[in-house]
Amino acid sequence: MLIDLGWFSFDLFKVTYDGVVLAIGGTAVLAALGVVLCSSPIYSALYLIGHMICLALLFLMYGAEFIAAVQLIVYAGAVMILFLFIIALLGGKKESQSFDFHKFMAFSFIGTVLAELALSTRVGPTQPITGIFDEKMIANVGSAKAIGLELFSKHLIPFELASILLLVAGVGIICLAKFAYKPVRRRSN
Amino acid sequence: MIDGIFQFIDENTYLLLGIIKAVVIASALLGVVPLLVWLERRLMGRFQVRLGPNRVGPYGLGQPISDSIKLLFKESIIQNSADKFLFHLAPVVVVFTAIVSFAVIPMTGPFELFGEKMGLWASNINSGILFVFAISGMGIYGMVLAGLSSNNKYSLMGGLRSSAQMISYELTLGLAALCVIVHTGSLNLVDMVERQNSWPNALNLLNPPLMIAFVLFFIAGIAETNRAPFDLPEAEQELVAGFHTEYTGMKFAMFFMGEYINMVTMSALITLMFLGGWNTYILPDWAIIGFVAFAFKVSFLLCVFIWLRSTFPRIRYDRLMTFGWKFLLPIAIVNLFLEAAIRVI
Repeated sequence: MLIDLGWFSFDLFKVTYDGVVLAIGGTAVLAALGVVLCSSPIYSALYLIGHMICLALLFLMYGAEFIAAVQLIVYAGAVMILFLFIIALLGGKKESQSFDFHKFMAFSFIGTVLAELALSTRVGPTQPITGIFDEKMIANVGSAKAIGLELFSKHLIPFELASILLLVAGVGIICLAKFAYKPVRRRSN
Repeated sequence: MIDGIFQFIDENTYLLLGIIKAVVIASALLGVVPLLVWLERRLMGRFQVRLGPNRVGPYGLGQPISDSIKLLFKESIIQNSADKFLFHLAPVVVVFTAIVSFAVIPMTGPFELFGEKMGLWASNINSGILFVFAISGMGIYGMVLAGLSSNNKYSLMGGLRSSAQMISYELTLGLAALCVIVHTGSLNLVDMVERQNSWPNALNLLNPPLMIAFVLFFIAGIAETNRAPFDLPEAEQELVAGFHTEYTGMKFAMFFMGEYINMVTMSALITLMFLGGWNTYILPDWAIIGFVAFAFKVSFLLCVFIWLRSTFPRIRYDRLMTFGWKFLLPIAIVNLFLEAAIRVI
């Protein structure tokens, strides 16, 4: 919908879209700050959940439905529930901490400057994506099929290696949790 | 002036249609809840050889109205030691996620209205079934937060139980749904129904591996919605009322609403995935008949939910976990292999 004010005209949908993306991005940053700055573990976990949901929404805004759903199911759904579970089991008490505001500001300033330096040395100018992009391919972006094809053709070996790593971790957890380590007793003759 | 209004409508048909659909679906869902409560109480009365509510209005139909008025005007008590913000947030999360996850459920086939092709769903996204799982997974937070913020042992236990139970049964639920996804080759719920619209492969239920998937999905679905016999999070005998012990009035009713809406969503999912959705196979292919068929199937499944509640005793907590991890999950994995093998051959 084109809105024309005479001296200034803009596409309302496009402006709204950009505004929503910016708002979600800003909320994600604020939530990430909340995770670090909050003193109560429950609220920290909640901020992290909020951050994950914002990331999922960003994926959704850029048309990657599948990744958004997976982000919600895996990170916001399963991982964070375990975090809350552990906090509930251990009894999350609010920590009282002495907080030196000036020192914090100084450190964060130095950190920001260093990070920007590192970024400026490493990141070059933005480059366009090269390759064959016809209409069909663009329509498929973000769908489960496109991701599946990519994972099981180009990135097959890393994918399978990661699955083996996860399997090893799973077996390791069961061993640690299930079989308590007991010193071997010699049979007395 | 009127021309201007018409032009506005013409330009923004999709936007307006989306808003109307969202409002209608959300309010219809909320309206279904009191009816379901009434149905449950009447049916439970029949099952237990008593009358059930029958005094207020014909067949006791006024009972849900009087109940909701009572709940609305009850005093809302919040204990001092509770975390106020989380205490208020928890029921909101439960109801919100329950309503939002219904957004992708299609209720009848696409039809034409005023020359505009439309379907009776709020949105038909490509990975619809993943969306339902993602949003209903968020619903667990409501219960955990209620348990954490109430500052009450029983609530905490209820919240912990609900999260553990739902994580365990979500795996079985996902693997059973994956069978249908492999069978259909799509994550879209409309595609899943359209895959079942002709005789050779009508009703996913009649396909051997999917039959097992149906049973698994149904059992895991009952556990996911925290219904008896898996209602461990709110086991009255051990935990008073579980995670909503400290809640009163409308906030208590919101947990109730969330549970019933989840029940409807789960029944709708089972209908779409296994029972052929809006397909009737014998009646003409009209949208309105499709909707009635869909509603009939869903309400049948809801009655089964209530029937199960009045039939089975609650199972013990460790048995619930053992059943989920050591029995349902291996069957689900083997079943998925079987389905995939059949698809490849």
